[in-house]
Amino acid sequence: MMHVAKLIDTTLCIGCKACEVACQQWNDQEYTLGTFDGSYQTMPDLAPNFWNLIKFNEYERDGKLSWLMAKYQCMHCVAPGCLKACPAPGAIVTLANGTVDFAQENCIGCGYCITGCPFDVPRLSNTTKKVYKCSLCSDRTAVGLEPACIKTCPTNCLTFGERDALLHGAEARAQELRADGHAEAGVYNPAGVGGTHVFYVLANAARPEDYGLPKDPSVPWTVRLWKGPVKWLGTMVLVGGILGTFFHYVRYGPKEAHDVEGD
Amino acid sequence: MSKGTERRIARFSVTERTIHWMAAICFLYAALTGLALWSHKLYWLAWVLGGGSTVRGLHPWGGTFFALVLGFMFRQWASQMGLDSEDKAWLRHAYRYATNEEEGLPEVARFNGGQKMLFWLQSGSTLVLLASGLVLWWPELMPRTLLLAAVLIHPLAAIASIGGIILHIYMGTAAVPGAFRGMIHGWVSPGWAASHHPKWYRAK
Amino acid sequence: MASLAATFGRGAMTNGWTDVANADVVLIMGGNPAENHPVGFRFVLEARRKRKAKVVVVDPRFNRTAAVADVYVPIRAGTDIAFLGGLIHYALSTGKYQAEYVRQHTTAPFLVKEGFGFADGHFSGWDEATKKYDKSSWEYELDAQGFAKVDPTLEHPRSVFQWMKRHYARYTAEQVSSICGCSKEDFLKAAELITVAAAKDKSGTVLYALGWTQHSHSVQLIHTAAMVQLLMGNIGMPGGGVNAQRGHANIQGSTDMGAWNMLPGYLKLPRANWSSLDEYLKANTPKPLRPDSLNYWSNTNKFMVSLLKAYYGDKATKENGFGYDWLPKAGETDNYGWGYLFDNMYAGKMEGLISFGMNPVANGPNTSKMLGGLGKLKWMIVAENFETETAAFWKAKELAQQYYANSPDAARIQTEVFLLPAACFAEKDGAFVNSSRWLQWKDAALDPPGDALRDQEIIGRLFAKVRELYAKEGGAAPEPLQSMSWSYATPSAPSLVEVAREVNGREAASGKQLSGFGELKDDGSTACGNWLYSGSFTEAGNMMARRGQEDPTALGLYPNYSWSWPANRRILYNRAAADAGGQPWDATRASLRWTGTRWTGDTPDYKADAAPDANGSFIMLPEGVAKLFTPDFAEGPFPEHYEPAESPVENALHPQVSFNPSAKVFHSDLDKIGSVKDYPYVAITYRLTEHFHYWTKHIASSSQLQTHFFVELPDELARQKDIKSGDRVRVSSARGKVEGQALVTKRMRGMDVNGKRIYHVGLPIHWGFLGKVSGPLINNLTASVFDPNSGTPEYKGFLVNLEKL
Repeated sequence: MMHVAKLIDTTLCIGCKACEVACQQWNDQEYTLGTFDGSYQTMPDLAPNFWNLIKFNEYERDGKLSWLMAKYQCMHCVAPGCLKACPAPGAIVTLANGTVDFAQENCIGCGYCITGCPFDVPRLSNTTKKVYKCSLCSDRTAVGLEPACIKTCPTNCLTFGERDALLHGAEARAQELRADGHAEAGVYNPAGVGGTHVFYVLANAARPEDYGLPKDPSVPWTVRLWKGPVKWLGTMVLVGGILGTFFHYVRYGPKEAHDVEGD
Repeated sequence: MSKGTERRIARFSVTERTIHWMAAICFLYAALTGLALWSHKLYWLAWVLGGGSTVRGLHPWGGTFFALVLGFMFRQWASQMGLDSEDKAWLRHAYRYATNEEEGLPEVARFNGGQKMLFWLQSGSTLVLLASGLVLWWPELMPRTLLLAAVLIHPLAAIASIGGIILHIYMGTAAVPGAFRGMIHGWVSPGWAASHHPKWYRAK
Repeated sequence: MASLAATFGRGAMTNGWTDVANADVVLIMGGNPAENHPVGFRFVLEARRKRKAKVVVVDPRFNRTAAVADVYVPIRAGTDIAFLGGLIHYALSTGKYQAEYVRQHTTAPFLVKEGFGFADGHFSGWDEATKKYDKSSWEYELDAQGFAKVDPTLEHPRSVFQWMKRHYARYTAEQVSSICGCSKEDFLKAAELITVAAAKDKSGTVLYALGWTQHSHSVQLIHTAAMVQLLMGNIGMPGGGVNAQRGHANIQGSTDMGAWNMLPGYLKLPRANWSSLDEYLKANTPKPLRPDSLNYWSNTNKFMVSLLKAYYGDKATKENGFGYDWLPKAGETDNYGWGYLFDNMYAGKMEGLISFGMNPVANGPNTSKMLGGLGKLKWMIVAENFETETAAFWKAKELAQQYYANSPDAARIQTEVFLLPAACFAEKDGAFVNSSRWLQWKDAALDPPGDALRDQEIIGRLFAKVRELYAKEGGAAPEPLQSMSWSYATPSAPSLVEVAREVNGREAASGKQLSGFGELKDDGSTACGNWLYSGSFTEAGNMMARRGQEDPTALGLYPNYSWSWPANRRILYNRAAADAGGQPWDATRASLRWTGTRWTGDTPDYKADAAPDANGSFIMLPEGVAKLFTPDFAEGPFPEHYEPAESPVENALHPQVSFNPSAKVFHSDLDKIGSVKDYPYVAITYRLTEHFHYWTKHIASSSQLQTHFFVELPDELARQKDIKSGDRVRVSSARGKVEGQALVTKRMRGMDVNGKRIYHVGLPIHWGFLGKVSGPLINNLTASVFDPNSGTPEYKGFLVNLEKL
């Protein structure tokens, strides 16, 4: 099956938040009240019932003021850190179309996926004790529809399609932007997670952190160590300990007590 | 010589044994549930132990109780667990103990150097497990760096702890017959005491 | 709208949303389409990609539109005329204007009568005693036949062109910078980009909204923009125009169908001094001012008689003036604009109010006066989706004690309020008329809930009941009601299809649907509810329901998608997109072309088979060309910069006439005007993308997106006041106060105005004392100051104080 992807062209985002509402509505999320944190952002961060957040970043560089808006959600990594960290088989799955979905019925609520995700996306609900995130509308894509956010976007900032073609289109758009004077324009498709199924076109790809995106994200080294060498070490200790003591017994036998003289 | 007439030497008091076995039960639960969450190959343990969510819910409690009991154990035994120069000499020649060539090893009191090391290993690793475990208990509330450290430290401490316990169980059962009785019934035979803890035996 | 009608002939967006994608330059000023018209804004972004268009945003606040613009120029609220006047001066002094277009399609060659002048802030004819202008000197010099004299060389000193040049000579870049508070460099950078469109093959569009209309000089302001666009040769051009972005799905429709001062189709409101149809027609049918002027309003008689036939049916006969007598008449100088209406109400001169789809307590300036006015009514009917602040006005004190402590207690208010649950838009069929003048027919998505009724049924039932009471009990002047033609299948609930057919018009005898306003007659043989909409529902069916996506011109005109007034014309004044020979100024944007016998492309805004030189290109105006000089307005034929009613500085051009001398200011005890001494900061009000007016605070999703009212502050000012984001602040004006959390931002800056540092305070409007989320009504702060021509209140640029709580 072909891989699908979502493209976010940040140069076309106007922060209208239509994608936020579409996400809430399609996924039957309960509306809550927003938290004011001195910005236009709906809330400071993603939440278990809020999977798609436009981040507003205001900064000044070389006397030029910028107000960058970019929507933030699960990146659907090719090599997902959440999946690497997840202890519950079937709770996090990579679908045939390449996207990463959480199956809440298998989720045990340990929150290890949070540590594995370099984008800080999964959110653990206090009430259900399950983690949640954008599924790229797996229930829509399964029947050939585009995700709800794509459907609603008024400016064509969001597009959906076959991954390779979309990536090609993103590169072409970046090229176009470079020709228009954005020397640093590029595509955000970080190699540290094997690439993603959500790409961004950034006017300044050298500084993704201006958009609230991590620079050079990868699965954290402690998580890699934990799920790699530490796991081997543990297996060695566990298996080695059991087998070692067994064979020790076979070789040396028990330490018999000798009788006490005169007893 | 018949067993029935054997002289009994008190080895562990009721309190000591109760604390030990409470710790053992908590440890077993925490360790098995921990192993279930540690590897997909051991996830079947989760089904045995009440299902994934239950395991996720109870593992931290098991660990917390274990740490609590270990605290009592610490208060009870810490003063007896100091390593003196003879222990150190014993430890230097521990390989001879392991290969049953014990001639020339320093004489052992109530606890040998290995037992004392296990005590400190468990005390230390439990402290680390507790601290890192608390971080992992509420991942959504913890600073990311702490969380990232905890996912590495917690299993490392657990490996050390479980490794020690495997050895402990072997030593306490198959390797040293009579030791298990000491922890179950509280007494050992004079021969056992004299063989394994001669210094303590003489003091008795 | 008043401004565009006087300048070009019709009060509407000249082009359309889809056409914005054809622009080379987009000037966005007095509007914030990325936030308030996000769906339409896609065409701005398309222009950037497709045509590499440059987007220039001029606004006091760096908003979400500025965030994606190429150039952003901050200016002080209320100084737009100075900025645009500066553009006129820049264009004329550097020669960056389309001379051929100006000569051919505007009144630039017209000669102005001797005696016209401007000095020290006043045009000729000012009477200090009556505070009014005698406009007799604001006229063209006419020849013996009554036609205006022209000088095609544009060199006559009294030509409109030379007058304009002299008038705007004062608006130098330095002066613009000093009045507007922008840097000279920023102004020149913007001017250079905007005047790129002066080239024949380039076009630039202007997008604006309430940031222009809500000033005490708004009509003049929009006229200044129209002048700039005429100089650039941008009117009629694809990718050009002066494009008013309407804020509601159907606000264009409501204006077309007759707002407060009009009959449907922009026919003038009958007044008591026009006592017969003949007198009415005589006063309101203009005479051509040039021999080649098509002067389409010469058909006023056909439009009016057909309208009367639609109103009164068989009862309208030639003998009774088609029932003209039955129309209510306003007094000669009566004004039923918002400000007058509520001033009269507050003065106790009104008995009742029917409020449909309006929330005056929230919308109107100076909330205390709105509340005070409603409290003096005997009765009020509110038909709404929700209980609005208007319906609950008597609870204001109880629900928002901190703002309305001085209002009367509910027990002392005698107004009887009827709140009728009305269907919302999705529960009704009918047409929305969008900014592009497209009449888009829609079906009802679902039935209204509970007891809610559709508007037409509420009106139908009211009508039937009142008519029945008149029949039973008699009363003063029953004829207008009894003569009204009301032939719907269910009289108490007319269907909108029936109404739409009636609006389109039909032959009175046969009932055959008309195919367009060309078929209208003045002899009573046709009936038509709105001549502009004639052609929308023909014998071929409902043209508004069409959804064809063919695009034969490849300019995004989509002639088969819905139906556009007038005559399905997609770009107004499109004749001006072609040169004297009828060939398009730009071959890549050929919306209209003369083949030698016919015009092809868009529906021509011209006679379809008239040669390019047969007529003037602005067929609705007596001049036949677009007006640079407009005697129609109260304050002068050329726009002049006047400060807002409350301004932190004196007018730099003429301090003795600082404020618009013709603006309407009311003087009840609640109408206070503040001074810079007590209220040192300039406040602007605006809308946020997350909300729609005062409506979506009742909706869960919008309430989540923007839950809290906030006060947007420049960080420089916040530092001075030791205010951090999230701190509670109070903003007060001479009228009232609001309180909320501060949002401190770099996106608002202090501005240097004539040597003085000026700060803006930003106030989003969407909250009130009812809804899922609540907050202060911003109009607690605003003043009853109105544009004299349009009656729009001055919501942008008034004085406030700011305190940390």
